[in-house]
Amino acid sequence: MKNEEIDDVLKKAAQAPQDLDPRLLERIDDSIKPSLHPVRPLPPVWLMAVGLVLVCAAISLAGAARAGFFGVAKMNLLERSLVFPALGLLACLAAVSFVHQMIPASRLRLSPGALLALNSVALLAVFADLFRDYHTDHFFSAGIACLLTGLLHAIPAGLLSWLMLRRGFAVNPASAGLVAGTLGGLAGVGMLELHCPNFQAAHILVWHTAVVPVSAALGALLGWELRFRARSNER
Amino acid sequence: MVRYQQGDFAAATVLVRHISPRLHRFFLAKSMSRADADDLLQETWLRIHKVRHTYRHGEPALPWFYAIARHIRVDHYRKSIRAAAGERELEEMSKGVSAAAHQAGELEALLAPLSESQREVIAMLKVEGMSLEEVARAMSSSVGSVKQKVHRAYKKLRETIGATGPRK
Repeated sequence: MKNEEIDDVLKKAAQAPQDLDPRLLERIDDSIKPSLHPVRPLPPVWLMAVGLVLVCAAISLAGAARAGFFGVAKMNLLERSLVFPALGLLACLAAVSFVHQMIPASRLRLSPGALLALNSVALLAVFADLFRDYHTDHFFSAGIACLLTGLLHAIPAGLLSWLMLRRGFAVNPASAGLVAGTLGGLAGVGMLELHCPNFQAAHILVWHTAVVPVSAALGALLGWELRFRARSNER
Repeated sequence: MVRYQQGDFAAATVLVRHISPRLHRFFLAKSMSRADADDLLQETWLRIHKVRHTYRHGEPALPWFYAIARHIRVDHYRKSIRAAAGERELEEMSKGVSAAAHQAGELEALLAPLSESQREVIAMLKVEGMSLEEVARAMSSSVGSVKQKVHRAYKKLRETIGATGPRK
């Protein structure tokens, strides 16, 4: 059987009359009529994305200002000119992706998983290329402290991002949470790069980069939990 | 759609009359009973109404409607899975669902052998006449992934229809 023949069979089947009950349509009309007032459409994608990047940058800077700009002070010009533009670029990408997640039927150029993978791999590549001190002093104690500090900034950045786009509607809250977590994670890494003076390659590659996937996982969990709760409330 | 966002009741009524049969058929194509499809249609319109500000002028409207309908349908599916406690009840439910599919009509019976996502894709692409790009948007997926699902669905349909012949 050819594809065209299957098309014909499907078309014929779809043409079978299936009239909707007019009372059902009237009920739908009645349910929306009382709250039918003009609504303000969402702002343009670029505007929301810029807002998100600014929020994340503000959280990174505020955190580093409180803890001290020791990391950026220790960096040379090459390190500064590669690390921060890379973080900025990745944050823009994550912000645009998050905005698309909050608008139904947006064109997704990058799936949430691919975005997370891209962010993690890009950070690993930049850090591996720049930091060549292969000592591993206080690997776990210093590393866990950095991971927690990064997450402490990633979580508010992710939550604020979600709050900023609260007028949007995520058809898949777990995916949207994952992207928001990725964006927040980048804010956390930004804060660490500004603050942390530990330039050992293993420390940065493992603990700084880990902020992004851990934060993304927390975001996905939160999104899943929100959807679960929404369903429970509907029952 | 823009007039609906501006609070025009006449525009809302036209949209409800125009879109509802498509969404209803979309739910029926998922092997649902007519009563379930009616309920989901109402629920979908309540959600559409609540988030109507998220539609962006100039973007295709159909994928936007279907993305929301799909969200409601997935929620309904998960709710029904959770409600069925125990494997035996689940088995009975699936038997009931397939029985409903056979009663629901020719299209639903035709699509019954396909997986959930394949049925969705075929319903949007071949029955509603949406483009690959529109289906990809509605499913939050890539065009490549939609093409792959269509290919697999056609393979299965070819086997099924070839073996039994289309129902007259």
